[in-house]
Formats: sequence, structure tokens, C-alpha cells
Amino acid sequence: MTTSVSLAPGRATRIRRLLPGNGAQAAISGLVLVAVLAPVVPLVYASVQSAPIYLPGRYFTVAAYRQLFTDPAFWAAARNTAEFAAMTTGGALVLGGGFAIVCGRTDVPGRRWYPGLLIAPLLLPPLGLILGWNALYGAGGYAHDFITRTLHLPFNLSTVPGMAVLGTAVAVPVVFLVCRAALSGMDSALEDAARSVGAPALRVLGRVTLPMLRPALVNAGLLVCTLSIESLGIPLVFGSPQGHDFIASYLYTQWSTAFTPGPPVVSAGATVLLGCACVLLLLRGTLLRDQARFVTIGGRPGPAGGHGGTGSVRLPTAARLVLSVLLGLYVAVTTFAPIAALGLSSVTTELTPLIAPWHLFTAGNWRAIGQGQFATSITNTVEIALAGALITTALVALATAVAHRSAFAFRRGLPFLLLFPRAIPGLIIGIGFFWTFLLVNPPGHALLGSLWGIMLALSVRSLTIAYFVLSAAFAAVSESLDDAARSAGASWWAAITRITLPILRPALFAAFILMFIAILNDYDPALFLVTPGHELMGVTMLLSEQKGVNGPVAALAMVQIAITVVAIAIAGRLFSTRLRGRRNA
Amino acid sequence: MPEISVQGLSKAFGGARALDEVTFTVRDKEFLTLLGPSGCGKTTTLMSIAGFQRPDAGTITCGDQTFFDFRGKVFLEAQDRNLGMVFQSYAVWPHLTVFGNVAFPLKVRRMRKDALRRRVTETLELVEMAGYAGRYPHELSGGQQQRVALARALVYSPTVLLLDEPFSNLDAKLRERARAWLKRLQGELGLTTLFVTHDQDEALSLSDRIVVMNQGAVLQAGTPEDIYRRPATRFTAEFLGHCNILAARAVTATAEGTAELVLHPGGQPITVSGEHLAAGAEVQLAVRPEAIALSALSAATGLNAYKAELRSASFLGDHYLYELDIDGMPLTVTDTRSFPGPSLTVRIPPSACRVLPP
Repeated sequence: MTTSVSLAPGRATRIRRLLPGNGAQAAISGLVLVAVLAPVVPLVYASVQSAPIYLPGRYFTVAAYRQLFTDPAFWAAARNTAEFAAMTTGGALVLGGGFAIVCGRTDVPGRRWYPGLLIAPLLLPPLGLILGWNALYGAGGYAHDFITRTLHLPFNLSTVPGMAVLGTAVAVPVVFLVCRAALSGMDSALEDAARSVGAPALRVLGRVTLPMLRPALVNAGLLVCTLSIESLGIPLVFGSPQGHDFIASYLYTQWSTAFTPGPPVVSAGATVLLGCACVLLLLRGTLLRDQARFVTIGGRPGPAGGHGGTGSVRLPTAARLVLSVLLGLYVAVTTFAPIAALGLSSVTTELTPLIAPWHLFTAGNWRAIGQGQFATSITNTVEIALAGALITTALVALATAVAHRSAFAFRRGLPFLLLFPRAIPGLIIGIGFFWTFLLVNPPGHALLGSLWGIMLALSVRSLTIAYFVLSAAFAAVSESLDDAARSAGASWWAAITRITLPILRPALFAAFILMFIAILNDYDPALFLVTPGHELMGVTMLLSEQKGVNGPVAALAMVQIAITVVAIAIAGRLFSTRLRGRRNA
Repeated sequence: MPEISVQGLSKAFGGARALDEVTFTVRDKEFLTLLGPSGCGKTTTLMSIAGFQRPDAGTITCGDQTFFDFRGKVFLEAQDRNLGMVFQSYAVWPHLTVFGNVAFPLKVRRMRKDALRRRVTETLELVEMAGYAGRYPHELSGGQQQRVALARALVYSPTVLLLDEPFSNLDAKLRERARAWLKRLQGELGLTTLFVTHDQDEALSLSDRIVVMNQGAVLQAGTPEDIYRRPATRFTAEFLGHCNILAARAVTATAEGTAELVLHPGGQPITVSGEHLAAGAEVQLAVRPEAIALSALSAATGLNAYKAELRSASFLGDHYLYELDIDGMPLTVTDTRSFPGPSLTVRIPPSACRVLPP
């Protein structure tokens, strides 16, 4: 080796100051800051103005809040929202927690398959599920008569308890996932110890498993509660037509029927809702921090999934079978039957229990969505989902690198910024960006009437998902890999883009797919931003459904579900080949 | 090759002091080892030199280039220091081939393609990995990955080589081979090398000089022999090899190079050479187990000879380890010969006693 060759980098002689002046890191952080605060700051500003902010002659006032708090309809909506959130949270905790214990700690047949089926509603389009429930269990729905007349159950999806049943079905996967993660991280030797001292199976579940699950239940409960208070699709489809509004649907109705568009009262209501969501998430953050302390004190954790023992409670054969059938029935009733009903209504002129569906068969619904506004909404949605997922994944990947792999001065604030959109209800993102686009021009006015503006709103709404995936992935890659690149002479940018991110390719792809699905299936921010010619599937479905156009809406929902399933399948296939490749190597 | 000078380096994490006025110099072409237990600050020192830690005080210079100067507000970024570094985990990039890994530093230096190829091949030949250029890291053994990491650190002719416990992930046999190979390579290339380890055998066998650290401070610096034979502190004596620490009090002050003391708790007299002690001074004596002479005689006569009871004997392959008791004072002795006991005679040569500060 010829050591005489001088290969010192050209910059080596340049001495830098102690303050890091990395432009790329500052630019990335600034972009995230602007994107996350864009929907919030103008909203709060608009809520303390006397008139919509596009009108001249405004002045500072809290009149909008006064108007909001003296409106009986607001209080009725708030009461409904609170009842809905309480019932949904309670129901989801009981069912989700129960399912997690059954799948994770008993020997019920099919316990390997049920977890995948139980979390399906998380990935499927929420609006598709809502419309499926409407087709099956709504007034005049296929199963509605069976439930009310044959089973004599007073079930009405248009009431608050009825909507809470659907809310529960939507929220169960969230609780299930959180509890399942907690259970799999828990050493099952603790339960085996209880059994070894003579406790019967149910006693062990009640006295050991359940108490250990309590932190996870609190966490999941607060999460579900936050998601419930911002529910918009459920009340718009079921409650509002019958006069049972939630805060979100109340605000939407005020927005869409106001004499002057964008009244300050809606901004005030949205600010109140944002405050509630933030308080709930702050509470959750505080509780989780406290729990983390307990977890670390717990000492050496056992091997994942137990210590080679059964880790499960042996139930009598009859109980096992009954539980398994109940689980299967639950999945069928809450997820697959509604989607089947949706599929059926997409190929019939009308789905009614009075006439057999094959007499009403038609291909007209599918022909209808191949043209006009329906077709435009499909291409628009796919386009912004692809572009939004791509751009967001790239930005979040770089932002995560700044947050976790740089010495940038403000890096510690970035994780909070990246998690914050999770706390912002969807309609607030919609209203907030609407004001931002009006206030900040250029480029606001151009964005307001374009797909790019909607894409921006939907991307910000979901960027937390990408951050979850990527921050976990960054944590799994040793920092010494990028340190090695730095010591070999690479700049921060080169180390991240040429070493760390290429290593994280699988995680980047996972984040992209999840972002694609999230943007594809989102609709509530878009409700406030859509302009003619820029329709999205979710918005078109909701608005057409309100006009009673059921068949094409069902077909559109099926298209949305199909695209989602295909995206998941592509991701699954790529991951399984990658894993197989690794194993063979 | 320039020399690295570290002056008054301090660093605190939260309230805990990780480095306390650390000062040492790595001379040109020298193999210097930072030795100490986990948490002693050796890796923090290395990372400060590499540019991955920002100390709270002090200076680091490499030749005429200042890497870090707290007062002068100078901090040279890691990528601009032109040091070669081998990480404890090797940090071989899993998505690049062996060739890609070694070529990366040259690519960021924008080297022309043909020169780059030649250079990488040369370096891979140097670390005996030329046949593996197309392989990915997961297709290599731990020892091979380590060579790739070393090739990557050498390929751009860095001014100094930094090694962070590079042998800790290898098994015992491989570690010995890798050690000998690294020592030879370092000598051939004349590389200024800073090595960090907690393994005393590694430190003794590889280093030109050793810097012993504990609790963020430098305790002693010297050649391996110097440090082993003349430990300056009880910590150094016990950290490098086994050592008996005996409590004693000086009884007479001597001027002619020997001191008379009595041992606690037995009260036996002991003569120590080469020391000047005031009468009444309480000291500790460090005595290596292999420096003590054993015999089967039952009568103990002569200078520093004591009668000892044999408590236990263990066979350790090339020697025996004896746990003895001299009137309540425990003593560990090693010897190649077997002694059945139960009583033995122990003789501690005056020159084998090293007086430690109290």
C-alpha cells in the first residue's frame, strides 16, 4: 500500500465553529415545523376574529366562543360525543382486551389466524366499513329486520348507542393491538408461577394477567377516546340525518350550510376540539412515561413469548370451541359481512331483504363509476395517495434522521412535532389548511383550488404513521454505522442518504405503503378542501350517499377496498420474498 | 504520521463526570492503549478524538491541526478529521459488498474510478481479504468482518488509526491470531494507533505504552512492563493481573534504600527495598503472586520468610494457584510446582514489594 498518497478531504483544513451550521438539517426541521403548525395557527387566529379572515374590517373578539357556548345544538352535540366516546371506549376495552387475552394466553383453536383478521378494520377504508354497516345493519338494511324482528333486539344505528356499537367495532383493533403488544412483551413465567402455586386458569387471568395489562388498557382507552371525539364519518352517515350530531358533524354542518363561508364559530369549535384531543394525548403521554418507569424496574424480562413453556391457559375443550366460534362470529359480523353486503349492493339496483338480490342484479353501478365525477375521484385519490406517500416518507425519513441521528440544536423538538398531527382531529386539519391557504398567498390560493393542497393536508394528517415506522427502524440500526461513514469522511447528508437510508429500505417501503393506504382512505380533512373537479373517493362517497346514490357509492367503496387489499398484498409479498432471501443466504 | 495530543479533556453527562482533565500524547508511530474497566471514560476519550463527542473542556490536536479547542471554540467535524476508525461492532455496512464498504471513503473523496479500484484491491490484499470483494457482510465471519472494517479504515491513508475494542466480538483463539496480525500490520505500516480495551492481556501484548484510566481520570501512563511491575496505585496493581495488597506500617526510616515494616494483622516484620519511608507511615504493599517463593520447608528462617497455612490449591494447567494464610493475613501465590501442605514456607523478596500510597 502506498501510504504517501494524500487522501485527506479537501475540507479537512477548514475549522468549523462550535455552533453547527448544517443547512440541510435546518431546512428539514423548518419544513416539518411549517407543515405541522400550518393547520393550527391560522385556525386559532380565525377563532378570535369577528368575521371570516377573507373579509376586511375584522377585529379581535371572543364572540365566536360565546356564540358556540350559548348554542344548545353545540351542547347536544357535545353530550352525544361524550356518550359515544364513553360507550365506544368501554366496549372496545372489554372486547379488544378480551380478544388479546384469548389470542395471547389461551389455547383457543385458530389463535394464529384471528389476530390478522381482528386488525383488518384498521387497514380497510373506514368509510367502506361504515357504508357496509349501513347496507347491512342500517334502517332497511339486510340484517336489520332479522335483528329487530326475529331477535327482538332494539338496534338502531342512528341512535348514539347504535353508533357506539359501530364505533366499538372500529376501535377494537386499536385496543387489541396495544394489549397484544403488551402481552407479548410480558413474561408468561409470571402466570405460570401463579399456576404452579395452585391457582386455577380463570383466577390466573383475573388476578395476574389482567392487572398486568392495566397500563396497556389505560393507554389504549385514552387513544380510543381521542379517536372517538373526532369521529366524523359515523355521525354524518347515521346520526345527522336523524338529528343526532357529534361535535365534528355539528361543525361540518355549520361550515357547509353557513350563510358566509367559514364562520368564526366553526374555528372556535374546532379549537375547542383540538384542545380536548391535546389534553387527552398529553394525559396519555404522562401516564406512559410513568409506566415506563415501572417497566424498567421490573428487572430482566423473560424471553419473548415466554420461556418455552406453554405460556397459555388450558381451557376445557367445550370452552375452547365456544370461544373460537364466538371470535369467528365477531369477525364475520363486524367486518366481513358488512363488506360482503357492500359488495352485493354494488351489483344490485337496491339491496333489500324484500326481494332476492339476483332479481335486482345490475352492472350499472360499476359502469357509473367508470365515468364522470366518480372516475375522476378514483384517479385523483390514487394520484395524491402515491405522491403524498412518496413525499411524506422522504421528508419524514430525513426528519427522523435529524431528530435521532444529528447534533442539530433543535432536534429534540422534532419528535414532538412529528407526533403532534396524531392529536389534531381530521376536520381541524381541513379547516386549518383552508385558512392557511387563504392567509399565505402565494402559494395559498393556488393550493386551495388544487389537488396539491388536499395532498398536503392528507399527508400532514398521516405523517405520524411514517414517523412511528421509521423511528422504530432507526432505533434498530446501530449509530456506529453512520458514525463509521462520518469517520470515513462522509458529511451528515452523505452518511444518511448513502448509508443509513439504504439500510432502512424495507422500513421506508413499509412506511410508504402505510402512508399510501392512510391517504387513500382518509376523507375528513378533504371535506373542507375539495373543489369541483378535484373530488376524492371518500368525499364523493359521503356526499353521494347523503343524496341517496347508494349503488355507485358501494361500487366506489369496493374499489377503495380493492386498492387497499392490493397494496397490502404487494407489501406482504415483497416482505416475504425478502425474508425468504435472507433465510436462504 | 503526526502525534495526537490530548490536554485537560473534561466531559460530564448530566451530573456525572465522565472525563476529568484527561491528558496524554500518542507519539508518532506509537501503539498506545487506553486501558480501564467499563465506564472509566476510555471510549468517551476515543469518541472525543474521533469527533463523535463534544467535550466540555480541553484541547485535542493532531500534528499541527486543532481538532478541538474549547476556549478557542474550535470543533472539527468527524468527517474532516481524516482518522481511520474501527468500531467495536465493526459497523460494516450490510447493504454494501466488501468492495463497496472499502470503496466508500474513496468515493466521498471523489477518487477516479480506476485509481479507486486499484487502491481498494491493494488494501483488501493487505488485510488478506482480496478473495471476498464481492461478498456481503452477512456472508462473512466475525474475523473477516473485522478485517473489512480495518481495510475501510486504512484505505484512505488516515493520519491516525483509532480502534475501539475491536477484538471483543471474537472468540479466544481468533482473538489471539487477530492480535498478532494487527501488531505486525501496525509495525509494517508505521501507523500511529490509539487502541481502547478493558482486556489487560490485549493491552500488555500489543502496546508500546499503556494509559490506565479509572472514573474518568488518567491514573498512570507507561510501558506495559513499567505499569505491571511498578503500579502507581492500588487500582492499577489490581486491574493488571493478580496482586496481593498487604497493609503495613513503617517502623524505621532508612536512608540506604531499604525500609523495615510490620504487616497487619499478624505483626510480622518485612523488609522492602528501594523505598524511603518515615517511621510510623501506614502504607499498602503490592506483591505479585508469581513473585513470591514457596517451599515445603516447615521452618521459616531468613529475610521475609513466613510460615503459612495452605487453605486451598487449584490446578490451572500451566501453574497452581495457592490460597495461603499467614496468621490471619490472606495471601495468593502461584507456582508451577505442586505442594501438598498443610504448612508451607513463604518468602517475599524485598524487591518484589511495591509500596503504594495510602
